[in-house]
Amino acid sequence: MAAVSVACALGVVVSRSPMQSVLNLLGSFLALAVVYLLMGFQFLATAQVLVYAGAIMVLFLFVVMLLNLTDKEPAQSWLMGLFNGRVLGSLASFLGLAALGMLAAGGATFEAFEGGLDGSHEGGLDPIYSVAEVLFSKYMLPFEAASVLLLATMVGVMLLAKRERGEEDLGQGGGAA
Amino acid sequence: MTFQSTQDAFDAAFSTAALPAVLPAVILSVGALLMLLIEIVPGARASRPIVVLATLVGALFANFTQLSDPAGPVLDGIYASTPETAIWGMLFAAGALLAWVYSIGYYGEKARPFLAEHDMLFLSAPAGMTLMVCSQDLLMFFVGLELLSLPLYARAAFRRERHDSVEAGLKYFLLGAFAAATYLFGASLLYLATGTISVMELKMMMGDTITTTPVFLAGAGLLVAGIFFKISVFPFHMWVPDVYEGSPTPVTTLMATGTKAAAFGFLIPISFLLPTEATGLIAAIALLTMAAGNLGALVQTNIKRMLAYSGVAHAGTILLVIAGYLASGRDDAIGEQALHAALFYLAAYLFTSTGSFGLLAMLERDGEDLTTMRGIRGLARRRPAVAAAMTLFMLSLGGIPATGGFFGKWFVFTVLVQEGMYGVAILGALMSVVALGYYLRVIVNLWMEPLDEADTGRVAPVTLPAGIATAVCALGVLVLGLMPGWFLDLLG
Repeated sequence: MAAVSVACALGVVVSRSPMQSVLNLLGSFLALAVVYLLMGFQFLATAQVLVYAGAIMVLFLFVVMLLNLTDKEPAQSWLMGLFNGRVLGSLASFLGLAALGMLAAGGATFEAFEGGLDGSHEGGLDPIYSVAEVLFSKYMLPFEAASVLLLATMVGVMLLAKRERGEEDLGQGGGAA
Repeated sequence: MTFQSTQDAFDAAFSTAALPAVLPAVILSVGALLMLLIEIVPGARASRPIVVLATLVGALFANFTQLSDPAGPVLDGIYASTPETAIWGMLFAAGALLAWVYSIGYYGEKARPFLAEHDMLFLSAPAGMTLMVCSQDLLMFFVGLELLSLPLYARAAFRRERHDSVEAGLKYFLLGAFAAATYLFGASLLYLATGTISVMELKMMMGDTITTTPVFLAGAGLLVAGIFFKISVFPFHMWVPDVYEGSPTPVTTLMATGTKAAAFGFLIPISFLLPTEATGLIAAIALLTMAAGNLGALVQTNIKRMLAYSGVAHAGTILLVIAGYLASGRDDAIGEQALHAALFYLAAYLFTSTGSFGLLAMLERDGEDLTTMRGIRGLARRRPAVAAAMTLFMLSLGGIPATGGFFGKWFVFTVLVQEGMYGVAILGALMSVVALGYYLRVIVNLWMEPLDEADTGRVAPVTLPAGIATAVCALGVLVLGLMPGWFLDLLG
């Protein structure tokens, strides 16, 4: 799985079409999630699939598609990219399915393994539970501070983006957009 | 750490002492949130300055109560409130307050609808600084660092219509992200080596064989390098002149004083992570930083840029205390003395730097030229009070006796001399003499050059808020310079 992850990461760099790169990246993320799972980090694996393979990937796809629409790319390479993208896409979805299967099947066995390893999760506590426990007790303050941080960042981004639009409206009116 | 039940975990984390300890940061965060609320409530907009003032004064007071009765480590040891952190916190609140006062009227008409957002970001920065110096945990520090940095990146680019402002924001953001990644990589390597990210637990581990493993050393090195970026020491100082020059001056003020102070406030207590063999390296970095800053400042014609380079040189001077601490074989008493020296130095630097950047912000309103060496020629004839205040700040930056800057340098070099690092101390003192060259140039331009007739009428009027802020800064510089014992008594 680590090899698959590295191979996909390599694919991100060498592939010509951005779309292909993105799908390779997806494969890399999913393979990494499976690696986490094999190591017994269920929470990390779930977060990896949800956040990286889910949210961030969609963002990447959006950006790539938006850029591709305006790009005057030769038809040939675009088709090639799409074709390759499909192949890799199916590979990626296969990997995703495999990851999900592992998640479902591995839940019981790895948990037992973890508990047996350091004996810290007594009383049927699963790793996600212990993550939550620390997050909402010991690390409550950084957790709350992070929410203020995200809000402040959002305000900052809006501040910069909003003004840009205001200026465009003022300066360009109905010009070339 | 594991607990028998969730209740145990909560009991371990929270105690009644926790609230006063975190109160300063909470007040600042609540103030920042209020900023957004009053913007959407009709009729409440006018209360914006009152909310900012109340928040910062409240934070100042909350820190002050911690001074006499510190809560110590709270929240299961990830956060600690000590007399030192209380003074840091007061400095951050005071520095933010002064910088904010200077920002009144600084921005033109175009920026007016965005001032609430600007102030919201202004308040979140001292909250981040307070979290940084109080953190006893590498994760806590990181959250504080980002809470400080991300709003600063946005505010560096606040004057969107200007290229240098956008460039400053982008440069600061990219390099800052790189530094944050370096810090995180270092922290994760430390965790790999020791299995903990708690500063106290790491400190207890010192002396173990574990702390001489390559993984540990690499982790400590990367962690410190990440913080070195924030305090802008050689070779991580390249971004400083461009970012300081491009950012709006009130933002530069906070960037130069608060960020540096907060990073040092955490760096000095955790410098025990560095091996004692690194003494020479740290001393060399500090001296190179001073050289780079001073030589860079000598050739500048823009005062804002000159002050940026001078800030780099000051960071190098403060870094010397870490070399002194390491030379003592990581002696706790010397560590405390080093922290106090840095605290005093940065307190003096905060007032001096805020005052000088603030005066620049005031002069800048009517035209860019006034912040160049040429532009301030003969200013003393037209605005003697402004020129006198600027002179005081320059003398303090140069470390002339009877100003706060003198005792700051004195305490730093005392630490070095105690540890027998005479060579380093002499080189450092020589660097300070070089620095006098460009500070005196400002004074000469202010007082001795003839007034440029073409500039007549372009000098900005002194507004009341800016006047008060300048007076407070000047008073701070003089009090620290004439009665340093008073400040040291605060530390106990």
